[in-house]
Amino acid sequence: MRTWGSMEEFEAFLDAGGIVEVGDDMPHEYRQAVFAFIEMHANSELMGGLTERDWIPRTPGLRHKMSVLAKTQDEIGHGHLLYMVAADMGIKTRTEMLEDLFAGKSRFHNVFHYQAVTWGDQVAIAFLVDAAALASQQAVFKNCSYGPYRRILKRIISEEGFHMRLGEDRMMRIAEGTEAQRKLFQDSLDRWFWPALQLFGPDSKPNDKLLRWHIKSERNEVLRDKWVQKFVPMLHSYGFTIPDPDLRFDETTRKWVLGEIDWEPLKRTLANGGPDSTRRISEARDNYERSGWVREALAQ
Amino acid sequence: MNDLPPPVVDYLLAIADDKHLMGQQHAEWIGVTPFLEEDLAFCSIGQDELGHAAHLYALLAGDDDTAIDELAYRHEPGAYRSCWFVERATPIWAEALVRHWMFDAADQLRWSLLAGSSLSALADLAQRVEREERYHRLHSDTLLDGLLASPVAAEPIGAAVTALAPFALTMFEPVAGEPDTVAEGVAEAPFATQRDAWKQRTEARFAAACTIDWPDDPPYGDNRTTRSADFGPLMARMREVIDLDPSAVW
Repeated sequence: MRTWGSMEEFEAFLDAGGIVEVGDDMPHEYRQAVFAFIEMHANSELMGGLTERDWIPRTPGLRHKMSVLAKTQDEIGHGHLLYMVAADMGIKTRTEMLEDLFAGKSRFHNVFHYQAVTWGDQVAIAFLVDAAALASQQAVFKNCSYGPYRRILKRIISEEGFHMRLGEDRMMRIAEGTEAQRKLFQDSLDRWFWPALQLFGPDSKPNDKLLRWHIKSERNEVLRDKWVQKFVPMLHSYGFTIPDPDLRFDETTRKWVLGEIDWEPLKRTLANGGPDSTRRISEARDNYERSGWVREALAQ
Repeated sequence: MNDLPPPVVDYLLAIADDKHLMGQQHAEWIGVTPFLEEDLAFCSIGQDELGHAAHLYALLAGDDDTAIDELAYRHEPGAYRSCWFVERATPIWAEALVRHWMFDAADQLRWSLLAGSSLSALADLAQRVEREERYHRLHSDTLLDGLLASPVAAEPIGAAVTALAPFALTMFEPVAGEPDTVAEGVAEAPFATQRDAWKQRTEARFAAACTIDWPDDPPYGDNRTTRSADFGPLMARMREVIDLDPSAVW
């Protein structure tokens, strides 16, 4: 077990590229911050799977449904792995994390506080949201100082890449499809563009501990901008409209510039007050409680 | 399109439709089973069942997604050959688990009749299906071993068995084409010849939970040509996106 005499010594270790392992005597603040970050990631993978499950039975096509099932299996599998990594940190057990999630006491990503109301939403999630999540995860993996999380992220990122490509492929079919399909996706884009963008969060604070401790390697605004520069022209090329009347192309910087971002919806979701937060959490809690006899029986 | 005789098409369609709807029913449970490992297991098993269905539909319609989906989603209700057991809605997890065990136990017996099929593609598929199905059986047996060792689980599992038993017998309901299919050597014997063996296995499996009172008159559907009450809502849900625009490719 490694130990450090002070926070300065620990931070110097991290700055030199040091990797912290689960058995190390890491500073309490670091342990708490890493745990909270991984717990939220785990919760988000699980709640993301629940958002998608609403439309799995309605997937249009037999083999298509197999692909969508495999994707959701991956997402829940990511949650499964991440809960183990988080539990190993000795702050909460997996059961405690799940019970906190279902009691509305812990957080998950903003996008999963919204309901997928059409099949177009399902595609928009796979295309826009998974891409945003992947970009965030890649930035964490690049320089992550917590070894167990970094190793799990390698697998998660490789699978999320397939999800994004599945979403892209489905979006392209719709883009090249009928008018009804194109309208369906445009409506979904109107609903999901801003939540997907807000997944990156507001601009990072100057003293962001997650950056200082090499959990994150990129500032939120940098990642957000990269996503905008990739997806705005791509969506335009398929004939879709970005739901931002103030969107413009800056000829000087050769970059797309969005209008002002309204962060209020993000704040509401972080307080579990998003458009679908109540239903999402209460349904998950009800299902969990209904099946308590199974867990009780197996524990005997 | 295949050049199989209509009775054989009828027979294979029944297996494909059963597999398809069983996979669909498993898929309904993703994310809401009692614990994460079960979510993953149901997801995986559901994919396998849908995959088996896709292989069978491909034998009938060719290995093309549009042709497969035509059989899977666009038939008139009377053209499906699913049994009522797989059409049944199961909002209770104990029933989902018990059906998973019952279906896979019957499936093993059904595919054992096809291992030496005169239709070589079907015999090959029987080998592949068994390689995957043994893990399905291992999963449900392991879980039931754990649950039935506890008195907590006896009541919900017993109630599920009692509710499902009459419908489970519909798995053995033959299609009209089965006698000719057996005569052609595509299947070794009628599936109903396995029913008593399956009932014995089922009684032994669930003895710790209940005594099964098998009905003399299961709710058969006229050689699988009529659908149960649960089929309509299930198919409407499955076709919801397809029906948005029948000309669309998704």
